[in-house]
Amino acid sequence: MNKATLPIVARLRSLQADVRFAAGGARVIAEADDRNPVAQLLRAANETMLGRSLQFDSAAGPSLTLDVAGRRVLRVTAALGLAGAENCLGVEVLEDEHKDELIKLVQAVAAPRYELRVTSGPIGRGGEEVSVGLPVALLADLVLIDLNDLAADDPVEEEVPPLEPATARVSGAALDAGLTRFAEAVGPELLAWLVVGGEDDGRTSGPDEMVSHLQGFLADEREAVEHQLDMLAAEPGAPICVMLGATLIEGHSILVARLGGLLLGVVEGEGTGTALAAWRGVLI
Amino acid sequence: MGVTESLGAVTKAFPQARLVAFADLSSRMILSSAGSLATTQEHLDRLCDQARASFDDPLFSLSVEAFGEPRGAVVMGADAVRVFLRSDTEPSDALCCICDHSIDLAAFVAKIRDTLESITHGG
Repeated sequence: MNKATLPIVARLRSLQADVRFAAGGARVIAEADDRNPVAQLLRAANETMLGRSLQFDSAAGPSLTLDVAGRRVLRVTAALGLAGAENCLGVEVLEDEHKDELIKLVQAVAAPRYELRVTSGPIGRGGEEVSVGLPVALLADLVLIDLNDLAADDPVEEEVPPLEPATARVSGAALDAGLTRFAEAVGPELLAWLVVGGEDDGRTSGPDEMVSHLQGFLADEREAVEHQLDMLAAEPGAPICVMLGATLIEGHSILVARLGGLLLGVVEGEGTGTALAAWRGVLI
Repeated sequence: MGVTESLGAVTKAFPQARLVAFADLSSRMILSSAGSLATTQEHLDRLCDQARASFDDPLFSLSVEAFGEPRGAVVMGADAVRVFLRSDTEPSDALCCICDHSIDLAAFVAKIRDTLESITHGG
C-alpha cells in the first residue's frame, strides 16, 4: 500500500465506514459470501465513464486487467492464471466476436466464494474517444445480470443524477431584469450588492463603503470569479447562485449570482432560505 | 455511532437531502455516503471537486478578507441545491450534500454542522 493511501484507509477504518481496502490499496468489491461477484465486477466496469485501467484480483489467484471507458470494455491488457486469455490479450479493441471469450475470463476471475478486489489506474492507451469496445450492458445481458438491480446492496435507490447540475431554464425576460429582481427578493438580509454586465449593469444598493469594496474586487477578479462559477455550473456561463460564509446561518456571507450579468453582494444573518426562494423565483 | 449511521441519521431527519457524503478534501475522496440518490464513483468525485472549488479563490479570499474563513457554501442550481460544509477543527473534513429545493436550509445546515463535528471528533 503506498504512503498516500495509508492515512485514508486508516481514516476509513476509524470512521467504521463499510468500504474495505486490501493490501496495495485495492478496493474489495465482493466478499467471499457475495452472491454474485460477476455482477460486482461488471458494475465496477460500468461505473467508469472516463478511461481507466481496472485490475481485478481474485483471492483464488487469477487476475484480469481491463481497459475500460464510457461503460465499455476496450481491451484486455493482462491476465494471470486464466486459461484462454490469449484470444483476447492480443486484441487492440474488443469486438462482438470476443464477447464470449471475455465473459469466460470475467466469470473465471470473479469466481464465487473468493474475495474479489479492484485496483484502478490510468488507462493503458487511448480511450478518450470511445465508440468501440464491448458495452458492459451487453455483457451483463448475456449473463442475465441487471446492472441497475442494486436491491441487495441498497434497497432505496433513485435515478442516477447527471454528472452536472441541470442548466437553469431562464427566459429572456428573466435574464433582462433577473438580478435586480433576485436582489430585491432576497430582501433586507442582502446588505449591499452590485451588478456588472447584463441589462442591470451598474445597479447597486447598500452602504457606499461596502459597494465600493465589492466593485474593487470585481474590477480585479471578475474573470476569476466567472471561472470559479463555471466549475460549479452545468456549463460555462450557465446561471448559478453561490452563498459562501463562515456559518451561513449567522454573521456575514458572500452572495454571488450569475444570470446574464454577475451580482455580488453581502448577506447578514440567516439568508440561505430567502436566497434560495429568491433564486427559484427568477428561474422559470 | 459510525460515519455511515451518522450520515443516515441526517437523511432520515431530512428526506429532502438526497445525498449526504463525508469527504476528505485534501485527498479529494468521498469516504462514505448515504441517501436515496444512486451515484457512481464519478458523481462522487465530481461532487468532491465542486466542494473544493467552492472553497477556492477568488471568493475564498474575499470572504477571508471581509468576514473570516468560510466553512459553508450553498450552490443553487436549477434542480437541486448543493451544500458543502467544512469542519471547524479539521478543514479537510467536509460534508457534501445534494438536496431538493424544498429543504429548510437553516435547519439542515445546523444539523449537518453538528454531524460533521461529531464525525470529525469521533473518527
